[in-house]
Amino acid sequence: MASVTLRRLSKVFDGGVQALHHLDLDVRDGELLVLLGPSGSGKTTVLRCIAGLEEPTTGEVVIGERVVTHDSPAERDVAMVFQSQALYPYLTVRENIAFPLEMRGLAHAQATRRVLETATRLGLQSVLDRLPSQLSEGERQRAALGRAIVRGPQVFLLDEPLARLDAPLRIELRAEVLALHRAIAATMIYVTHDQAEAMTMGQRIAVLHEGRLRQVGTPEEVYQRPADVHVARFFGTPGMNVLQGRGRAGDKGRVIEAGSLVIPVELSTYEGELQLGIRPEYVGLCAVDQGVGNVDVLVVEPLGSETLVHLNAGGQPLVARLPGFADVRVGTRVGVKVDRRRLYLFDAAGAPVA
Amino acid sequence: MSPRGWAASATAAAALAAALTLAVTHWIERRYERAFAFRIARTTAAYVAAVTPPPPPPPPVRRRGRIPRPQAPITPVPQSPASRTYHLPSLLTQARGLRTLPGWTTEVEVYYGTAPLVDATAPPLSPDDLLQLDSAGGRWREGSALVPLKDRDGREIVGAVAARPLRVPTGPLPGGLGFAFPAAVLAVVGAAVIAFRGRSLRSGGYVGAALLLAAASYLDLRAVARSSTDRWLTDTRRLLQEAATRLPPPRSRVSVSDLAALVQDAELVAGEPAESAPWRARVDGAPRAIVAVLIGSGRWVDLRTVPAEITTLRWLLLLLASALVGPLGILLLRWAERTPARKRRETAIAWGFLAPAGLHLLVFTLGPAALAIYLALPLANFRTIVHDPLTWLSMRSTGLYALYVPVSVVIALGAALLVHRYRVGWGGRLLRSALLLPYVTSVVAIALVWQLIDQAGTLGLGRSGWLSSPATALPALMLLALYAQLGGQTLVFLAGLERIPRVYVDAARVDGASAWRRFWRITLPLLRPLTWFVVLTGLLSAFQVFTIAFVLTQGGPRVLVQRAYQLAWGGGGGSGGSQAFGMASAFAILLCLALVVFSWPRLKLLGRYAQHA
Repeated sequence: MASVTLRRLSKVFDGGVQALHHLDLDVRDGELLVLLGPSGSGKTTVLRCIAGLEEPTTGEVVIGERVVTHDSPAERDVAMVFQSQALYPYLTVRENIAFPLEMRGLAHAQATRRVLETATRLGLQSVLDRLPSQLSEGERQRAALGRAIVRGPQVFLLDEPLARLDAPLRIELRAEVLALHRAIAATMIYVTHDQAEAMTMGQRIAVLHEGRLRQVGTPEEVYQRPADVHVARFFGTPGMNVLQGRGRAGDKGRVIEAGSLVIPVELSTYEGELQLGIRPEYVGLCAVDQGVGNVDVLVVEPLGSETLVHLNAGGQPLVARLPGFADVRVGTRVGVKVDRRRLYLFDAAGAPVA
Repeated sequence: MSPRGWAASATAAAALAAALTLAVTHWIERRYERAFAFRIARTTAAYVAAVTPPPPPPPPVRRRGRIPRPQAPITPVPQSPASRTYHLPSLLTQARGLRTLPGWTTEVEVYYGTAPLVDATAPPLSPDDLLQLDSAGGRWREGSALVPLKDRDGREIVGAVAARPLRVPTGPLPGGLGFAFPAAVLAVVGAAVIAFRGRSLRSGGYVGAALLLAAASYLDLRAVARSSTDRWLTDTRRLLQEAATRLPPPRSRVSVSDLAALVQDAELVAGEPAESAPWRARVDGAPRAIVAVLIGSGRWVDLRTVPAEITTLRWLLLLLASALVGPLGILLLRWAERTPARKRRETAIAWGFLAPAGLHLLVFTLGPAALAIYLALPLANFRTIVHDPLTWLSMRSTGLYALYVPVSVVIALGAALLVHRYRVGWGGRLLRSALLLPYVTSVVAIALVWQLIDQAGTLGLGRSGWLSSPATALPALMLLALYAQLGGQTLVFLAGLERIPRVYVDAARVDGASAWRRFWRITLPLLRPLTWFVVLTGLLSAFQVFTIAFVLTQGGPRVLVQRAYQLAWGGGGGSGGSQAFGMASAFAILLCLALVVFSWPRLKLLGRYAQHA
């Protein structure tokens, strides 16, 4: 096993698109790190640079103690699972799993034993002689995992391996990947665009946005103390409300005006354009004029355990998450309460304001 | 539709198809009977002309005497010089004698002018009938074949011979209903039983009934054709024997060649004594119907002719088609019954859109194919083709020629890999253009340019005449084909390479596969169906090669299609004419069958791959 270190990694594609900006990332030995970001954020490019499928424009890739920036994929001893599984359609499951061993010239008997071990671990014994087209979606993904782990490489790279699966299967396989990680204690880099998946899987989460690394931390850290407004928006279902506002010193003390809301905030050091973040679960509804402002109810989404209420706060969207079935009518005007201890303040550029 | 209503319409469809088949059978049988009637009428006319003497020298001219004419002529007999016309009393005797020939099966009438001689009370011909005979050489009139009776020199028409075929009973049932009628009744009843009782064998049962009907009709048809030949032989035998005794003096011993003049569409050779009934035998490999004729004491000749039944096989197609109208109609009815109205309407609209293309296919592909099969029958054509050494010579040339295909496929794959590898650079584009240019150029143009190069001797090979020398023409042809085909094959491979998902290659790279192994283990297997496609289409077109061989090497390596062309149009071992078309069609059908047999397993394989991909 080995650690993975990226130093000032940049990638500019042929068309001039800069996919990565001076990325520094340290993945510890044996860690499961989730690389999270929306599509186009560069997370797959990071993975391909680590695998050696792309050569970085500048910067270094270090696996273990070795700088492998310009080494071929074969020389890096990494394994990769692709979103589309990439099982060879004309080979059986057995042959697919054996393929990396065969390419490394492993003796036949030994390879056979390893393939069987891997298949047993993943519950694939009964389908070893089938073609990928004869497998279920879940079995295919297991076979792809099998092809990655059979060789016992230093580092596993998983590129959205579960994105194609339907929800129940995804949850099942998520647990299997976690169990697998515990069992083989390997260094794993897991790419996903699904923040819920990142929260449940990652020991640490690295958040990528527009080719820049925004934050690396435990799930709790990135949720509770987002490093910037992008990270803040990204986590939670739905994500954090971000209102464009302005601090003002008025006759009732210092307040932040954001849309139709006027929220008293003790803010000594900053006046001017601000971004006010508040998670939906800390937004409450009350009678008109009883809260920090009045809003119009646009949409009500009852989900059973909770109700999402989409509001219009003076031209800015605001979502409240209320427990159970809330008695709210679309088109009515209501007051808004906020938990002032749970406010996040960012400056216009998105950096947190103390 | 209620089940009973459906069953009733199914039965109606079956009855309609049965009636259609019976009508078709009847129509074909009539064709054979008419052919027989015309033939026996011509033979009779020739017989009458041969055995009737000219009129005796005219009596001394008397100024106001009677002109010898047949009694009650309605139009004047065409005037011929006396030596060329007939002695009327003899003619009358000969004509009436026909009816008394033992075993004679046909009703004949001989007209002198427009007057009937045999049955004097029968209505005479109209003058138009005789006039039309002149141009057509024979016509069908009121159930009889009417052929001209010419004067003794065969110049002018002086009368006519009519022959009416008598219907010969056929089949196992009393009344001579044949096989077809009982089979039709059986088929309709069977279809009704299946339809009303909903038996499990259903479509198979309908098709079976239709096939039974077609087979029975064919049996009838064949019997009629066979009996028409037999009757002509029997009747002609009688005529020949009569002629042998009646040919006018001075012939004391009649010669075979004199008699042969009576039967110009048959052979007359010296033979052995035999029964009076006709028999079938092979003469020099060809089927013949034969009857032995006694033409003098101890002198026997064989009268041989092509049996009509060998031409019946081609009608089987028509019979099958009309019999299968029944099952098809029933299946259509069942489909309509089980399909919701909306789907029916949509299907009808879909067929409406397909109709123009379908019609084109029918007229220009299926039609000619059916015509080729029709022309290729009888089967003797196929035997001739198989035994023709030129067939196998052209097969060998074509087979050798086709060897260029694997070579060109390998080169095309290599070129495609190269172009794909450098697809963004100008080098790849240049290579691609260079490869495609010959592909989009007319093959004829390329061939002509090559010919020019060859004649000029500037091929860089030191001498000219590569295309006309037997030893080098085939390799030169292969080289040219390779040059012309390479671009297209490269294009197909390029498209295949573009279609290979990059992730397979990426996965293999991460798995540690070298470029060489990636090609053999990833690229090539993923291209395999496409490779088979390219090889197969290449081989198919190689076996159908005609253009470049025809343009480049007249008389060089003769390839298969060229051979078919020669068979049809003559030149170089072909005969030309209508029989030649039969031979060429047989040749083409054999070639087609060989190609189908040869490519079928691979095409099946290709289909399976397509399902997996």
